[in-house]
Parts: sequence; C-alpha cells; structure tokens
Amino acid sequence: MGDDDLALWASGLVKRFGGRRVVDGIDIAVPRGAVYGVLGPNGAGKTTTLRMLLGIIEPDEGRRRLLGHDSPREASDRVGYLPEERGLYPGMKAREAIAFLGALRGLEWRTGRKRAETMMEAAGLGHAVDQKIRKLSKGMAQLVQLLGSVVHEPEFLVLDEPFSGLDPVNQERLEALILAERDRGATILFSTHVMAHAERLCDRLTIIAGGKARFEGTVADARATLPWRVHYVPHHEHEGLAALLPADAARASDGWRFVMPDTGIEPLLAKLIEAGHGISGLSIERPGLHDAFVRIVGREAAEQPA
Amino acid sequence: MSGTRRIIRQTMTVARRDFVATVFTPTFLLFLLAPLIMAGFGAIGGLGAATMADSRDRRVQIVALAAPEDGARLVAVDKRLRGVFRERDAPPPLRVTTPRADVAAQARALIDSSDIDISAVLYGPLEAPTVLYGAQGARTASYLVELADQALRIDSAAGAEPVARATRIAVARETASIGGQGQAAFFTVFGLFFLTLLLAGQAVGTMAEERSNKVIEVLAAAVPLESVFLGKLIGMFGVALLFLSFWAGVAFNIGSLVPPELARGFASIGPAVGMPAFVLLFLAYFTMAYMLLGAVFLGIGAQASTPREIQMLSLPITIVQVGMFGLSSAAAANPGSWVATFAEVFPFSSPFAMGARAANSPELWRHALAIAWQLLWVAITVGIGARLFRRGVLQSAGPKMRWWPRRGSGAVEAAGEAVSP
Repeated sequence: MGDDDLALWASGLVKRFGGRRVVDGIDIAVPRGAVYGVLGPNGAGKTTTLRMLLGIIEPDEGRRRLLGHDSPREASDRVGYLPEERGLYPGMKAREAIAFLGALRGLEWRTGRKRAETMMEAAGLGHAVDQKIRKLSKGMAQLVQLLGSVVHEPEFLVLDEPFSGLDPVNQERLEALILAERDRGATILFSTHVMAHAERLCDRLTIIAGGKARFEGTVADARATLPWRVHYVPHHEHEGLAALLPADAARASDGWRFVMPDTGIEPLLAKLIEAGHGISGLSIERPGLHDAFVRIVGREAAEQPA
Repeated sequence: MSGTRRIIRQTMTVARRDFVATVFTPTFLLFLLAPLIMAGFGAIGGLGAATMADSRDRRVQIVALAAPEDGARLVAVDKRLRGVFRERDAPPPLRVTTPRADVAAQARALIDSSDIDISAVLYGPLEAPTVLYGAQGARTASYLVELADQALRIDSAAGAEPVARATRIAVARETASIGGQGQAAFFTVFGLFFLTLLLAGQAVGTMAEERSNKVIEVLAAAVPLESVFLGKLIGMFGVALLFLSFWAGVAFNIGSLVPPELARGFASIGPAVGMPAFVLLFLAYFTMAYMLLGAVFLGIGAQASTPREIQMLSLPITIVQVGMFGLSSAAAANPGSWVATFAEVFPFSSPFAMGARAANSPELWRHALAIAWQLLWVAITVGIGARLFRRGVLQSAGPKMRWWPRRGSGAVEAAGEAVSP
C-alpha cells in the first residue's frame, strides 16, 4: 500500500514518562476510508499513542505522517478528535460549543452554528440546541462533543474510548454516527477496550499491550489466531467416550468442549455415531474478538481494572 | 473505638493529607522563603522611597533677586531663622541672585526653570517686595516675606508692625516642576504596578478552568499550545484594556469636575515628555508589563494542577511584582543612577522604570529603544512561558526548537513506505 493510500502511518513510536516506556516502538498504518481500531487493556498506551499521532505530545522516538504531513499539526484542520476525557465549557450553549470546536479547526462560526443546529436535530438533540452544557446529561454532552469533533467534516476522525460512559441507546447512536462519518468518506481511528464495538465497526485493528503492538490486521485475522471450538452433547454416554474425543476435550456441565480437530469434525462424528454415543447437541463455535484479544494480550493484562 | 477518638483520628487523617499535600511540593519552598524575598524587595522599595523624598527636597530652592547688600542681610537673617526649624521642617535653601534689568521676567523664568524647582522668588525693594510662588510655594513665599521683614529690622527700631509691605502673586508653572515630575514618576510606577498586579496576576489561575473541565485536551489537539497560551494572554489583555478604559474614563470625568483652585495645586505635577506622549508611552509600557508578567504568570500557573497550588504560587508571584515595584520606585527617585539604569535594562522592571523615566525626562529616543528591547523580551518570555505551559499542561516538552529548516523529508517518505502494509 502506497503512502497516498494511507491516511496515517507511524513507525517506531516511543514515549517515556519518568523513565518508563509507556509506548514502546509502535508502528501503525491506517488506510484511507477505513475504520481502524486501537485496542488494548487499560494502561496499555492507547491514549498516549493517539496523542502522539495527533501531535498533542511529541514522541521521544519514531516518525509519523498524518494526511500527507510529517507534522500532524499541519493537518489539524482536517482532523477531528474526541478525547477520552471529555471537556466542554459548562457555561457555553450546545450550539456555541459545537461551533467553537469547529472554529478551532478553521470552520467559520456562522457555518458552525448552522451545522450544529442541523446535526443536533439529526441526532435527536434538537431540543437542547440552546441549552448550556452544564444542563445536559453526560451522554448528551458527550454526543455534543462528538458533533463538535465532526462539524468541520474532517477527513480523519480520532475517537478515544468514545463509548465509555454511554448507555446502550447512546452507544447505538454513536455507532450510527461513526458509520455515517465513514460513509461520508472519513477515515476513523478509535480506541476502545470494549471488543463488541470493535468487532462491529473495525475494518482493521491493532492490539496494544504494555506499550507494544501485539497484533495488526483485520477482525477476521484476529479471530483466526484462535482455533474454532466444538461443543458436543452425546445422546448416550457410555464408557470409552473420552478415548474417542480429542486429547484436549474437557467435560462441561452440558457435554464436552474441545478444539476443532485438524481433520475436521466429520470423521470424529462418524466414530461417535458408530460407537453408539449419538449426537444430542452439536455446535461449532467461532472464537470472538474478545477471545482473540484475551489470548493476544494475556488474560492478566486483559482483566486489569480500569 | 469511642466516638470522640474516631473523630480525632478522622480529623488527623484529613490534616495529615493536607499537610503532606502542601509541604511536599516545590512551590512550598518558594512560599517558605517568601518573607526573606519580601524583606529584600521591601528594603529596595524603602530605599527607593527614602531616596526619592530626599532627592526631591534637595532639588527645591527659594530665590531672592536682590542687590549684594540686601542679599547679605537676607542670608544673615535666613541663617538665624533656619536654626529655629527642625531639619525636616526647614524651608528650602535660599539662593541670592543679582537682579537683571527685567527682574519680573527673571523671576518668572526662575519659577519655570526646568533644572531646579524654585518654589518662590522675591524681587524688588525689601520694603515693598514682590513674591512669586508656585503651586506648592505659599509657605515658602511667606518665609521670604519674613526674611525681608527681618532684614529691614536689622537697621531699624521698628515696632511690632511688619516693615515690609509685600505683594504676593501665586503663579502656575508652564511646565511640570521637577518635584512634580518625580511625583508623576512615582504615580506612573505605582499605576503600572497596581494595574499589572490586579490584571496580569489573574493569568495565574486561568488554566484552572480548562483543567477542571478537561477542555485543555480539546484545545491542545486542535491548535498549538502556543496559540492557546497566546490566546489566553491576549484575551486577558483585552479584559485589562477594558478595565483600564473604564477607569480612565471615570478618572477623566471626575477630573473635569475638580474646582479650578484645587486643580491649580496639581498643575506642577506632570510628565516631562508632555501629556499626549506620556499617555501613549504609559499604554505601551502597560502592554509590555502585562505581556511580560502575564506570560510568566500563565506559564507558572500552568504548572499548578489544583487550587491549592495556585494559591501557593500566588504569594511568590506577588512578591516578585512587589520587587519590580521597589526597584522601579528607586529608579524613579534617582533618575540617571545605576539603580535606574539597572531597572530600565532589567526586562521585568523595564516597563515600570521607563514609565517613570517618561515622567522624569523629556528624551523620547530612549523609549523607542526600550520598547524594542522589551518587545524582544516579550517574545523570549512568551516563548519560554509557552514551553513551560506545554510542559505543565501535557507533561510533554513539545517539538524541539529549531533555528534552521528541517532537512531530509525524503527519508521520512521512505520510512513511510517501509511500514506500509
């Protein structure tokens, strides 16, 4: 993939805080028009990576290129950003807050105000256009900030943990907004530690743990790092069943679970039927992104408290 | 555990946290040493004020335009009467000068003298002298009349009635007196100090708002922190100008209501460069002082992450301002001295000291030089302040300062290809 096909690339990014390498040599390449996920447990270095990619902080080592610029700052007006720690001036009206965020990215105030009104109507927040931020619920304020980060129609949108703190209804709204932005042609980079969103939205993703990139590829690639699993419930369980099953088969409360054999399931099923065990239930489970994530970063890291 | 013991334990837990949170910070050291610094700056300020009062007194005289014989008698009487006064209450020194043909014009010229302040001039025969006196010279005019009276009594057996029949004429100076210029210089320093203290000092806490509501991350992502820094500085400066305009308008309107007799009393107070130039210079120096100190305060204020730290930082910052005030006051009192030169050159006292200079001295070219010098320091300070600000806000040093254009962008593109999937 050539440089023109990439909205963003970075190579060997390193950031140290107090001697600790919080980000330790991360490479990243985000194709134009893609929804790209940066996944990782809490404290993995996702936010620091995003901040370096945007030029908010400078890497101690490494290079990056954003929308064709060596300095991310030069592309600032073509970028939208929703930080992990949401922040709006509480005394501003919602419409003004969106226009202000647009103005910071070079959009005219008047245009920003008009767009803010239209966007808020479309997002079901029309009634709150003239309400002060301090009067809005957390979810509403978060959506207002998201609208503020796209009001100038950026080519590249960065969302840091966009779903955190949102109820399921607002999470759905946010997913719809992200997809609408993608359909508009924007490239979207977002970080999360909630796999369900990444699984639904991402074209490609990178998994970070301990400041290092542990995986880069598509969701399917990530899932492919784990074998498919079989859940088998015998009709008649006689002695000798365990000997027929693969070595890793483990008894569960409702049958047996094991990794799909390399030869496929059919030869095994034939043997089980022939031996009279029969089949009361059979399911072949494709591993999810969550399983792949846990395997890639390690269970301990994946379950770190927030 | 009893209720009382539990309350004591809980109280001490809170106290311990507060104590540790206050003491184990770098700003506490500044806070701790504040009285020492304050004493140092206070000494400088006190020295300045004392020198100012002293030098002002030394530059005032009274003059008798009299023939040598009358002059000798006046000097003798002055010597005798002066002994009656305590030093600080004594009239200004007497100078006797030979009268010229147009003695009235000579007297008037003396009153308007720009080299020295003549508070009163006596001329004409001692029996019927004329005394001209300026805004602050009523008492010294009486003293001159008394001198003439006593001089006449030396050779006569006059009774209790006054021998000298004097004509006293109060006159207003065409230009500000030296003492008036000194006073104007002090008011200038004080005005600049007060306004900067009041207005630029606010910059210390401005980052607290963005920090508390997390807006800083949004700002930092969208625009360079240097722009955030400058934007805040300029925004606050706008507030300062509004404040200044409002109170200048109020002062002007109050001034126009002052009765003429009272206004005459202030006639001798004024800047040496003239009022229009002085107003422009005052605004220029206020701008410089605001930008210089505001940039420092904003940069330092960004290091504070809690209201407690802001409070701790406020004291040393105020002390620094008081120090600049003390130094500039000393400069105002002693124009041309090494203290004045130092204060005029030292970037953070320069706007105050040069403001005082505008009141003390009519030269204008030095101001152009000083403003250029201060602009340079504004640029340096804003640059350093912005980096401090960035470090304080984002714990990141920001891009390395480059004084030459970046080379080798081709290598960057090559690196881009290398990581492309």
